Amino acid sequence: MRTRGFLTLTLILIVAALLRTLIGPASSDDGLRLAFSIPSGEILWLRSMSVTSAAVVGATLGLSGLALQTLLRNPLASPFVLGISSGAGFGVACVLVVGYMLRTGGGTSGGTSGDSGALPWATETIGAVVGGSVALAIVSRFGRMGDNHNPTTLVLAGVILGSIFSAGTALLEHLVPHGLRGDLLSWMAGRLPEIPNTAQLITLACVTLVGFVVLARSAPALDVSMLSDDEAHSSGVDLRRLRGTLFWTGGVLAGIAVAYAGPISFIGLVGPHLARRLLGPHHAALVPGAALAGAVLLVAADAVRQMIDLGSGRLPVGVLTALAGGPAFLWLLRRGFQQGGHDRGVVR
Amino acid sequence: MSGSAREAPIIEACGVAKRYGAFEALAPTSLTIDVGEIVAIVGANGSGKSTLLRLLAGVGGERPAEGEVRLEGKSWTREAAARVRAFVPQRSDVAADFTAREVVRLGRFARGFDEGAVTRALAIVGLAARANRAVDTLSGGERQSVAVARALAQIDGAKRPLLLLDEPFSGIDPGEVARVIVSLRDIARSGAVVLSLHDPGLARLIATRALVLREGRVLFDGPAREVLTAANLSAAYRHPMIESAEWLAPAIVEKGTMDPC
Repeated sequence: MRTRGFLTLTLILIVAALLRTLIGPASSDDGLRLAFSIPSGEILWLRSMSVTSAAVVGATLGLSGLALQTLLRNPLASPFVLGISSGAGFGVACVLVVGYMLRTGGGTSGGTSGDSGALPWATETIGAVVGGSVALAIVSRFGRMGDNHNPTTLVLAGVILGSIFSAGTALLEHLVPHGLRGDLLSWMAGRLPEIPNTAQLITLACVTLVGFVVLARSAPALDVSMLSDDEAHSSGVDLRRLRGTLFWTGGVLAGIAVAYAGPISFIGLVGPHLARRLLGPHHAALVPGAALAGAVLLVAADAVRQMIDLGSGRLPVGVLTALAGGPAFLWLLRRGFQQGGHDRGVVR
Repeated sequence: MSGSAREAPIIEACGVAKRYGAFEALAPTSLTIDVGEIVAIVGANGSGKSTLLRLLAGVGGERPAEGEVRLEGKSWTREAAARVRAFVPQRSDVAADFTAREVVRLGRFARGFDEGAVTRALAIVGLAARANRAVDTLSGGERQSVAVARALAQIDGAKRPLLLLDEPFSGIDPGEVARVIVSLRDIARSGAVVLSLHDPGLARLIATRALVLREGRVLFDGPAREVLTAANLSAAYRHPMIESAEWLAPAIVEKGTMDPC
């Protein structure tokens, strides 16, 4: 089952990556249209970077989602649903606004996009990680009931927290000039950069690799943590330490992904589910599986995005993942309740 | 008590106490449990049975407000203790789509993978034929059996195993109860078993020693048949009590390990 699952995911990833690389705008008598072609050197490089970018962000979100779902013993958990993405977005917006105010001597008006220049991306990343972790701590506190997190409370707390952080971000948007505001709005929709910042992408990949190793090394303990707290403790698992690891891994991965690509929704929710369906419940397979599934979903979404031309430029990939992921979330919610998870405080 | 005089008690509680805010769940309690003992903790709801058991098991956030718990005369790390001490909670829960066999296998986390131990534990609780079914599809009693099997697999191979169970028989079929009791006696040959029970009659039948709790205090402690009398139980429960569970005696005698009388 596992080998077939990994092969299936790898195959889909290759097909999606090829589609993303080979489909692109081509000149014709009618103007620009989509066409299959083997692109020239520079375009091939850019598209390859886009594929890499989507794969890394997808893997980061998949791992983050898995860490959060294991932490909260609840498969409805994901960076977006729990408001962590919005918290991270708010963190980045704070950093941008504070940076802008510092550069303009404390004023919040009269500037232009020209003098708003972005702070170093590392600062944005820190802002995102801090914002995401604060959101995770709050939602975890509100949703906890005994050993488990009540799914309804968690989701409600996540939605409300997400709304609050989004409103805070919207408020901050009005403190910056139009150019920066436009960038912020586009970023908040969830977009993969057309021309990736190589240093930032490499950093993201390295952090994701560290997260992967941390989770993979903890795989046996993560399996045991799926038992009740008492059973996991009795089996020799240091749950406090394990949960601290999951908390920080989930929060940091979500934050750094948001700093890079904005709050792209539902990859962190659906990726681990897809992995579970194809690979089973063991974390030794789920950790690489969630990363792979996240990469598959985001590269595929990015490839599909290239094929949709509404005449006003390409859609942000976050719009597409929300359109596809929203119904998937509702299906999971319904399935969980039908299987009795509601009564037991755990949605399965 | 059948433990050797030279050996340290298998587990020892020295003045352990637990409070939840102003509520004293367990008054300072000291006890030692030796190899060969099956100790039943009996008492009404809220008497402190589970609190004492969880303190002995060292699970969750159950740190004693005072005192300490020692295994074989020493303080152990969590992982080292998990190789010899297993706990079955009153309510088991599995938040993943594991099969019964996979859950029992998780019990080997500390001692290392041993499929033989897993198969033996599943056979003891009568789940060998349903080992590959998802836990979610099992009945409540079968899930409890899986939890017991996980604990049995956890200490399989330990030199001096200690098994602690919180109301382990709720929902388990009578035939399986008898089978599990026999396995508890097997464990007690080289180790000890501590279990909380609601049914004093069942405790009288299974245990070599009983602790009767009331309002967080040990009211009686001694050989089960001497302690679990109608008069003592009536005092503990503040209600006239009768002895029960005679229905189990033939099944246990049939398994041939102990005379229930």
